[in-house]
Amino acid sequence: MKNDISTPVKREDVSEKLLGTACYIGDLKLEDMMYARTLRSTEPRARLISIKYPEMPLGYFVVDRKDVPGKNIIKMIIDDQPYFAEDIVNYIGEPIALIVGKDKTIINELISKTNIEYEKIKPIFSIDERHETTTPIYGDSNTFAAYRLKKGDISEARAKARYICEDIYETGYQEQFYMETQGVIAEYQEGKATIYGSIQCPYYVKNAVVECLGCAPDMVRIVQATTGGAFGGKEDYPSLLAGQAICAAIKVNKPVCLLLERDEDLEVTTKRHPSRIKIKSFIDENHKILGMDAEIMLDAGAYAGLSGVVLQRAMFAIAGVYNIENIKVKGRAIATNKAVSGAFRGFGSPQAFFAIEMHMQNVAKKLRIDPLQFRLDNILKQGDKSTTGGVFRDKILLHEMVARVMEMSNYAEKKRSFQGSDNQKRRGLGLSMFFHGCGFTGNGERDHIKGKARLIKNEEDIVEILIANVEMGQGAGTTMRKIVSAALDIPISRVMYRNPDTDRVPDSGPTVASRTTVIVGKLVYDAAVELKAKWQQGVQQQAEIEYQYPEGYQWDNESFAGDAYTSYSWGVNVVDVEVDTITYESEIKGVWAVFDIGKSIDDRNVKGQIDGGIVQGLGYGAMEVMENVGGRFKQRTSADYIIPTAMDIPMIQSELMCEPYTEGPFGAKGLGELSLVGSPIAYAMAVEDALGIRINSIPVRPEFLMEVAENDKRNHFKTKR
Amino acid sequence: MVITYRPKSLMEALEAIEFIDYTVFAGGTDLMVKRKQLAGLLPSFDKPVMFISDLAELKQVTIKDGFLYIGAACTFADIIENSLIPEIYKEVFMQIASPAIRNSATIGGNICNSSPAADSLPLLYALDAALVIENSCRRAELPISDFITGPGRNILNSSELVTAVKLPIQSFEKTCYKKVSSRRSNALSKISFVALANIENDVYKDIRIAFGSVAPTVIRSLDIEEDIITMSSQHALDINQIARDYATLIKPIDDQRSTAFYRKEVCNRLLADFLGNYAAASLQL
Repeated sequence: MKNDISTPVKREDVSEKLLGTACYIGDLKLEDMMYARTLRSTEPRARLISIKYPEMPLGYFVVDRKDVPGKNIIKMIIDDQPYFAEDIVNYIGEPIALIVGKDKTIINELISKTNIEYEKIKPIFSIDERHETTTPIYGDSNTFAAYRLKKGDISEARAKARYICEDIYETGYQEQFYMETQGVIAEYQEGKATIYGSIQCPYYVKNAVVECLGCAPDMVRIVQATTGGAFGGKEDYPSLLAGQAICAAIKVNKPVCLLLERDEDLEVTTKRHPSRIKIKSFIDENHKILGMDAEIMLDAGAYAGLSGVVLQRAMFAIAGVYNIENIKVKGRAIATNKAVSGAFRGFGSPQAFFAIEMHMQNVAKKLRIDPLQFRLDNILKQGDKSTTGGVFRDKILLHEMVARVMEMSNYAEKKRSFQGSDNQKRRGLGLSMFFHGCGFTGNGERDHIKGKARLIKNEEDIVEILIANVEMGQGAGTTMRKIVSAALDIPISRVMYRNPDTDRVPDSGPTVASRTTVIVGKLVYDAAVELKAKWQQGVQQQAEIEYQYPEGYQWDNESFAGDAYTSYSWGVNVVDVEVDTITYESEIKGVWAVFDIGKSIDDRNVKGQIDGGIVQGLGYGAMEVMENVGGRFKQRTSADYIIPTAMDIPMIQSELMCEPYTEGPFGAKGLGELSLVGSPIAYAMAVEDALGIRINSIPVRPEFLMEVAENDKRNHFKTKR
Repeated sequence: MVITYRPKSLMEALEAIEFIDYTVFAGGTDLMVKRKQLAGLLPSFDKPVMFISDLAELKQVTIKDGFLYIGAACTFADIIENSLIPEIYKEVFMQIASPAIRNSATIGGNICNSSPAADSLPLLYALDAALVIENSCRRAELPISDFITGPGRNILNSSELVTAVKLPIQSFEKTCYKKVSSRRSNALSKISFVALANIENDVYKDIRIAFGSVAPTVIRSLDIEEDIITMSSQHALDINQIARDYATLIKPIDDQRSTAFYRKEVCNRLLADFLGNYAAASLQL
């Protein structure tokens, strides 16, 4: 099919990125531009008693809370995080002031000569600490969010249950490790603030800067610069940098560049929430899961950020791909004196899926039944209800996907040949099943975002796409151009997409939540259909579409009842590992994946997202260790925070199956986050399988496996295979 | 601005460092990281810099009087590609860092940087490598274990250069090299282990064992090696005893890369696996 939209086209942005000519924040030099560096707290929790700056040379300035013209609070969900510390600091690395000037070396000297007097406050580092005995960081209970979710009747499930199984799972931090560190340049001219930034969400930054300056919305303009990766890390954090930089630009009356160093970025920016998840399930004599009682705790760090919504996504995903009719979930996002946990590809869902998938596997082992069969017997099907009582309206292809991935990976044959091997090197297989709800959780798209997209056609009949969604390496620009070109039936060369500038583009919402293709792509598609209907050659025309909540869906945000998402993408992953029982190092021998993302808009771009997500997930599951001791991260450099290289991952074999979503453009659904969710689980299961042990936390470090093995040996416990 | 100097010959280099204290720059893969400044700024050097990476005298690999000499400015890529280098040596160099770093990093630089985690060192210790050290009027040879005195410390003074590494040409029937790290490329080692041995009629005639990254310098014990040979000749190899002896020398730490427990345990297991069969050995420490 020559005209199939899935047929790959050349991505518009690749040439300049491959040639190294793309212009990132670090490459932009405005006339008379000054640099800013951040004076940071060295205490995890303290009252600021005094700050003694050295004498500032001519042309060097301190910018702090007194220089914020509007509110010294970053506009997010809860108003708790200042741009510059007021009188309390809550984590190591929290910004207190900027020092601004021409020469970064001099700025660094000035920072090192600044003396801060602190009065220490007893910090909270762990979600275990009993906060009622200490001073909470936030509120009375030290939680940024505490939710409950109920479906069906859990006590009835408990009463009817033949078996009850309870497990606890933990997941660690993960750093986004985008290739380009965070950075912005702020400029203030004739009362107008302009921010150039490496960002995912131009309008989030705009709304934050408007409140920071206390000015009219049209006095703030945000321009996205070429963005070298983000993975959620540039969803929330850039608002902080933009507010600080614009306050500095106003004070020094020159453009100011605030660009983080790699090690600084690793240490102070947002990371994936560590989690602890307790799951208790109630199972009948036919091995059907009657109910589930779960408790989710997220380590939110020092400020609320997006923790509440991350927690919601984790809670709604806690039943995994299984049809569980009676559910009770309690969720809490707990404040700790550590860097703020934030958005990261998956947004709560990787934590929840890890817990439920490992739990299901473990339940089956306890019941001495075949784990995969047990899981397949309890799987969701079309018409079943989600954790929030929403209906899965579209066909669920999981059975077909599992069959196909088993065929691709030669699963049954491998499973047989791996059995009973007692060599120094042991092989194991793991299989994960998962979904991702596409678009914002709950009423986000309907009540908060209400995205708008616009197309403008000029007299030469060139169509420009005006949306606030960014190209950040994921291929959104090309995807959007393909959708418009196909809908208008014009060559893709006649469709333009430029980095968003809030003075030119409507607010189509942030580039997050696997929403860009399925939600914004549909807006753009509908705008193209409208434009086509009124198309007049050689005439300037435009079309604008606003998001309409699809008919037949419902959501109540008070009770968390209804359709938490309007579409779901699905995935099945298999990972094959070989574990060396001398060192407990694992080698990944194979990765196979089948995804249902509806219609693929560009097969090569989709493959890029799949491979990238799987590798990032394997890093999360296998090697990305980030430990915090006393409020300070131990892994603070790229030599110590280890992400996988091409040497660690074999060729990934992936295929697509398609259950289209009627509300998506050409039937497309979301993909970006889905691709990360399954691989850490399949990896952990494969290691379990190879060694015949139980794994209840990720990353699965060789150090951990060694301790388990040595304990087993000391307890004279022979591991069964 | 920093003064840089690119001498035309080794003699010119040695004469220059006699009077001026230079930072000697070979491949630069450690120096450029250590001297890195904020983004957009040049690296900072507090002394004049001398570039020695293309001095022909330091790029040679030769065999003389039964010894292999590797020029100090040979990159790891040069070494891997050289047909005079035995395969077991190459196996070690091939696991260092990444291709880009191996194209630039030199064996002399790796030695003079003297990191406890330097990947080439356990092999060099095991081979009884000597370093050729020269100043403008003198040339001396020194065993590598006498050269390195602690983490990042060695006895080289500012008027001297390490010009070559001298290795015996020797074959070993039983060899093991294991670098344990968090990923398969471009990672600092958690533990590295080299063992080389010759066996006749089931008796060790020669054995060399070296551990990296588990103490301030590479661990090698001639005494324990001698005990192994003695025990072996009496057909009474006591792996537990040997492991206990090494345990007094292996002093790993908990750090951002691994744990002391893991490092110690892996050392024991690699040792036992080499000497016997790990599974059969069932260490009782």
